Amino acid sequence: MEQREILRTEGLWKRYGSLTAVADMNLRVHSNEVFSFLGPNGSGKSTTVGMMLGLVRPTKGRALIFGDDMATRPWPVLKRIGAVIESPAFYPYLSGYDNLRAVAIALGDIPDARIDQMIELVGLRERARDPYKNYSLGMKQRLGIASTLLRNPDLVILDEPTNGLDPAGTREVRELVPRLAREGHSVFLCSHLLHEVQAVSDRVAIVKQGRLVAEGTVDELLGRGQYLRLRADDNEALARALGGIDWVRGVDRLDGYLRASAPVARAAELNRVLAMQGVYVAELSPWETELESVFLDLTGEESPA
Amino acid sequence: MTRLLHVEFFKLRKRMMTWVVGILLIALVILLYTVLWSISGRVSHFGEHNQFSAEDLRRALFLQGSVPFALEIAGSFGTILAIILAAGAVGSEYAWGTVRLMATASSGRVRLLLAKLAVIFALTAFGVLLAVLVAVAYSAIITYANGGSDYSFVTASFVRGEFAAFGRTLFVMAPYISLGFAAAVIGRSTLAGAAAGIGTAFIEPLVTGLMRAGGSPWKDIPNYLLNANVDVISAQNALPAALPRFGASRADLIGQNVNSLEGATLVLILYIVGFVALALFAYRRRDITAGA
Repeated sequence: MEQREILRTEGLWKRYGSLTAVADMNLRVHSNEVFSFLGPNGSGKSTTVGMMLGLVRPTKGRALIFGDDMATRPWPVLKRIGAVIESPAFYPYLSGYDNLRAVAIALGDIPDARIDQMIELVGLRERARDPYKNYSLGMKQRLGIASTLLRNPDLVILDEPTNGLDPAGTREVRELVPRLAREGHSVFLCSHLLHEVQAVSDRVAIVKQGRLVAEGTVDELLGRGQYLRLRADDNEALARALGGIDWVRGVDRLDGYLRASAPVARAAELNRVLAMQGVYVAELSPWETELESVFLDLTGEESPA
Repeated sequence: MTRLLHVEFFKLRKRMMTWVVGILLIALVILLYTVLWSISGRVSHFGEHNQFSAEDLRRALFLQGSVPFALEIAGSFGTILAIILAAGAVGSEYAWGTVRLMATASSGRVRLLLAKLAVIFALTAFGVLLAVLVAVAYSAIITYANGGSDYSFVTASFVRGEFAAFGRTLFVMAPYISLGFAAAVIGRSTLAGAAAGIGTAFIEPLVTGLMRAGGSPWKDIPNYLLNANVDVISAQNALPAALPRFGASRADLIGQNVNSLEGATLVLILYIVGFVALALFAYRRRDITAGA
């Protein structure tokens, strides 16, 4: 499927007095992709999303969605976006169904059948007529997702969509996100569940203190295909041999293994070269990194949020 | 805009507070009629100046005076209830965080706020109409029960006068509702709106009374405030003399240096426009964040 740019932020800044919440944020999101936006608490994720939706006025820069500047002309675009920011917020005295109905009336052109369909999709049929104030956190999240999808949006923004969900609900959301992309929606996902993000994302951006510190495909961020993991009876001899090969760009020692910066595609060739030098490896495999490790390295956080 | 009016009406119609406010107004009308009827044989004055006979009070409660009396109640207590409705309609959106939900679902912030205000005014008008209908119904029972079923007073000019009184009452309520609404938007809370609106409604008459008593240069300032101008307009409603009046009567205003009817109308319009503009300006420019 052809991908085109649907969201672009250009040098987006937000300052609150002396505090810089977002600094020079440049993001690109393409159609039909799952784009994950990660960062610790207070790193400016929600402020960035707020500026993207025209809810927060940028100090400098602009956010363009479907080519329209969200600070000056948000409405035509907002009709094509479904978003739940930080946590779902609905009218506590209305039922789940009536809350969706209120959103549907405001948006216009959404039949009751679509509301029923969304209620069914998120598994709230049995409790749809109960007041929202009696919902559990997980049910509120489900209603938030239903509200997001009500307008059949081109761009779906989900901020921590699995908060409060039980394992089954979390799995449903994990399955829902790539399905949305397959069905032609683009997904902008903020989540602290990094293994979930890793599993469903096409591209990832990581922010720290309002600044973008990394952006790329999951493979690029994880360095997939770029590192080999080796072990030999004599790791020192192995390191010396690796150092003598000109296309091995570097060698690190980690947890009893050597990490060689070399293309995974040349693993067999590397093994042959080492054997010719009389160094026989006991283990040779692609180096697997978790997104969580990359995140922690880049943000210096104890745990992501 | 129609969609936004529809959704605001949908939300307020489903909200318990709207019904409670309406029921309170109706209960107040019934209560006042009941109390006045029950004491009508025993009381001959309200305050020092309002002297009347038992028959005067009985006749005042008959059909002819029912509309202006209901409007008198609506214009005073009804204003307080309408301020609470307006402040609650805005402040709760901030408290629940739904201000963001609606901002992303509606076709523009200004339209959203105008729709909300329009529905509040419409519900206020409906509430006042309901109070009038209840008063007319209660008064009809009293009138029939006491052999006063003479409808010769119902002339075209009487009906026109009652409609004019209805319009005047809604008009004098509007600045206070707009003030409560604007304060709730600016303060992002129900409390801010209710405090500003109700506080002004209660405290301003006291302050303007002091200003009038203080002589120059204070005595003319009330003419630029709300209460004195509201009195000028409300005094046009033909409330029977025997019934308690919550504001100034025409007789009270004689000899006082107050604005003309046109002047008072203009001042109140300026206040209404000013408060609404302030609310729109604040809401349009403001960031809508998690903390609202």
